[in-house]
Amino acid sequence: MMQKNRLLIIAVVLALAQIGFLAWIIAGRAAILRNGQDVLLKVEPVDPRDLLRGDYVRLGYEISSIPANLVANADAKAPAPDAIFVRLKKDADGFWHPVSGSLGKPAGTPLGTDEAEIRGTTDAGWSAQQNAIIRVDYGIERFYLPEGEGKEIERDMRIRSFSILAAIGKDGTAQIKALMDGDKVLFTEPLY
Amino acid sequence: MPSYVSRLKADVSRWVEQGMIDQATGQLLVADAEVRNERSFNFGSVLAIMAALLLGAAILLLVAANWEAIPRLVRVGTLFALIFGFYVGGAWLKQRGRDALAEACWLIAAAAFGGSIALVGQMYHLSGDEASAILTWCAGTALAAAALRSSALTVAAVAIAMAWMVMRGIDDWDIVPQFYLVMAAAFWLISYWTQSRPARHLILLSLILYMCIVAAHHDTIAIGIALAIGSALLFILATRAPEPVERIVLLDRRLPVHCLLGFLVGLALAQIDLVDEGGRLALAAVVTFGGIAAALIIAGRESRMLRWLAYTGFGLELAFIYAVMIGTMLGTAGLFLASGVVLGIIALFIIRIERRIRARPVQGGQGA
Repeated sequence: MMQKNRLLIIAVVLALAQIGFLAWIIAGRAAILRNGQDVLLKVEPVDPRDLLRGDYVRLGYEISSIPANLVANADAKAPAPDAIFVRLKKDADGFWHPVSGSLGKPAGTPLGTDEAEIRGTTDAGWSAQQNAIIRVDYGIERFYLPEGEGKEIERDMRIRSFSILAAIGKDGTAQIKALMDGDKVLFTEPLY
Repeated sequence: MPSYVSRLKADVSRWVEQGMIDQATGQLLVADAEVRNERSFNFGSVLAIMAALLLGAAILLLVAANWEAIPRLVRVGTLFALIFGFYVGGAWLKQRGRDALAEACWLIAAAAFGGSIALVGQMYHLSGDEASAILTWCAGTALAAAALRSSALTVAAVAIAMAWMVMRGIDDWDIVPQFYLVMAAAFWLISYWTQSRPARHLILLSLILYMCIVAAHHDTIAIGIALAIGSALLFILATRAPEPVERIVLLDRRLPVHCLLGFLVGLALAQIDLVDEGGRLALAAVVTFGGIAAALIIAGRESRMLRWLAYTGFGLELAFIYAVMIGTMLGTAGLFLASGVVLGIIALFIIRIERRIRARPVQGGQGA
């Protein structure tokens, strides 16, 4: 009986493993949305002619370009893809702006009030000169839109400034929470 | 091209007429061949696999459309139910001997897993590169193939890995997707466990494609020549010691066909790079023709597929040389004249080879 049902048992275990893996990702993301630190980020156009890619818009942020002189250990590191931890501070305008960065590991100093640390990845092509700019990806550079709504938002994005409300988890992972047009919330993300 | 069974039927009826075997033996032989043929290929299983691929594509497209009419928790739940239902349902069918339907179900389950990865990415606006999402899908499919010992899932995993390789190769011009070699080696081992000959054939083809991507990134001519030499050496090995090689690779004795393809693709890469250099291009062309002729003489009798690949390569090489060398000198009328002559030469070549092969009795070789 055991032998006969072995394949069925294997299939059940396999299906549960795959479903469990997906559920684990969903749970991790929902946890960031629920418990993370909310930050409001200014969206800057990436390439105004070509924002819409299939079913999502590409987003660039003010914090996507970090001046190398904000990054304490920038000259000690080779310009290769690396993790970067960027310290953000909330300003009077409500937006969170970068104040410092640290390559490879978190800065280690305790966070002040209205501060958060976001984790990103640098790309390869920067040089450690004084006024160099480091390009950083945070994994939040896309916003998926319901089918058919892309064109309108792409058009508005060219003329007005949009912003993104993101949540940052304990390890610095960022997760998009809402897409805002000025003060108006266009889309908010439910936990699941 | 008549199938093996219909050719055998003709042979058997001739043998019975000539009194070489009796009627009963003849019927037994034909019946046996028909049963084996049924097992290796029947339209029901092909249609089941095609239906599975269509349903799988439908699932992926439904996710891609980001359709808001269904709440996304329902969409996630449906995909999870599909994963569970089709993996377990496939196992249930397999236990009842419905192998083709089982494989088809598992393919749908694997597509649902890929669709779920895409949906989660969409739900949380994950912008990590698609390549790593595809890699995750590939790993899940390979795991399923190994756990369920499924040939179709092994092929699917190889195909997904190929998509990853092409994506990485095109996306990022600095990086050669070397990790593909590790994946190919792993899939090759899995394919023994899952008894998947098609997967091994696909892996060999994908390695030739891999070399093309490497050649596009690096030194085209050097990589092309390396591919041609490597293929030629493997060809010699596979034709010198067919039995031991076949025992290891288990490819229905078709390894020489892959080797010839690799050889031709390698030389094509080299020749594309040498297009403006008359002397060295001519040398490469001579090597190509020589290689094709050698392959035909050594292994042409054994395999029809190899013969047709050799003829195709021969024709393409002639057309290429013509376009590069002569085509620039002659006018349109000359083009038609030369094309006619060239086609005539190809036809004569093919007819001669086929006649020689038919004239010699086959000793212990298998028609493929």
